[in-house]
Amino acid sequence: MAEFSWLPRSPLEHALVAGAYGARDVEPGIALTEIRNFDLVQIMARRGRWADLANAAKARFGVSAPDTPKAVSASDVTLIWSGPDQFLALSKGGKHTMETLSQAFSQSASLSDQSHARALISVTGAQARTMLAKLSSIDLHPAVFPIGAAAATSMDHTSVNLWRGNDRPDGQAVFNLLVFATFAESLWHTMLDAAAEYGVDIGHSEEFA
Amino acid sequence: MRIVCPFCGERELGEFTCLGDAKPVRPAAGASADEVFDYVYLRDNVAGETSEHWYHGGGCRAWLKITRNTLTHEISSVEPAAGVGAAKVGA
Repeated sequence: MAEFSWLPRSPLEHALVAGAYGARDVEPGIALTEIRNFDLVQIMARRGRWADLANAAKARFGVSAPDTPKAVSASDVTLIWSGPDQFLALSKGGKHTMETLSQAFSQSASLSDQSHARALISVTGAQARTMLAKLSSIDLHPAVFPIGAAAATSMDHTSVNLWRGNDRPDGQAVFNLLVFATFAESLWHTMLDAAAEYGVDIGHSEEFA
Repeated sequence: MRIVCPFCGERELGEFTCLGDAKPVRPAAGASADEVFDYVYLRDNVAGETSEHWYHGGGCRAWLKITRNTLTHEISSVEPAAGVGAAKVGA
């Protein structure tokens, strides 16, 4: 049997060019950062088993699983609501993978590994909300989309899971979005077009925003 | 037009797809050809309030049952379709 190994590669490997983009001679109004190498597991309750799933999630993660559109953070995982009776578990370092979670949810939920099926993009900066307003029809004003708010929605006809993370140290809001890997490049270019007028600082990171 | 998804809140029409009339009920096995033809093809062209299945494919991917007035486009109710969400089977 032929020996081979999988080499994880970012779906934005070609599209992402780190550095400055768009308007020059201005302080960049947008920072676009791709977060690489994460573990992402879709957890969906089996028929009639949401209560069991919620109990199992509380025991496993130490926080209550989201049952409305929001993102709940624990020390080493973020649980992102993705629809009725389902959420995504986002983590790093192999702590919450299919292998480590399957036992905890064997009775209550079906799990699906999405680690290499999505790209994770973090949008921040003084003009982040203004730029996202071009692409999203939902209101991202802090009064209605505070830290921890989440939405399963569409941007540029592409389904995304969008949530607001903790603010940056300088107080700027951070919007995280998960997009299907094969749509990531398309959405990336659309976001660059939308952000160009404000000046963009492009990068990628191994750490969550 | 905007639709208030019971799971996501108010969203634009573009996130939704209309499946059509929610009234037809699949005939039992052994039903006559006429009954099956009726179920598959024949639809009432309602002028007024009608119930439809819609799919929130651009959002939470839940199936919804929507009561809509075809004359005014007013939506008077949006509820999860039967079986939506594992905890809501039979709702």
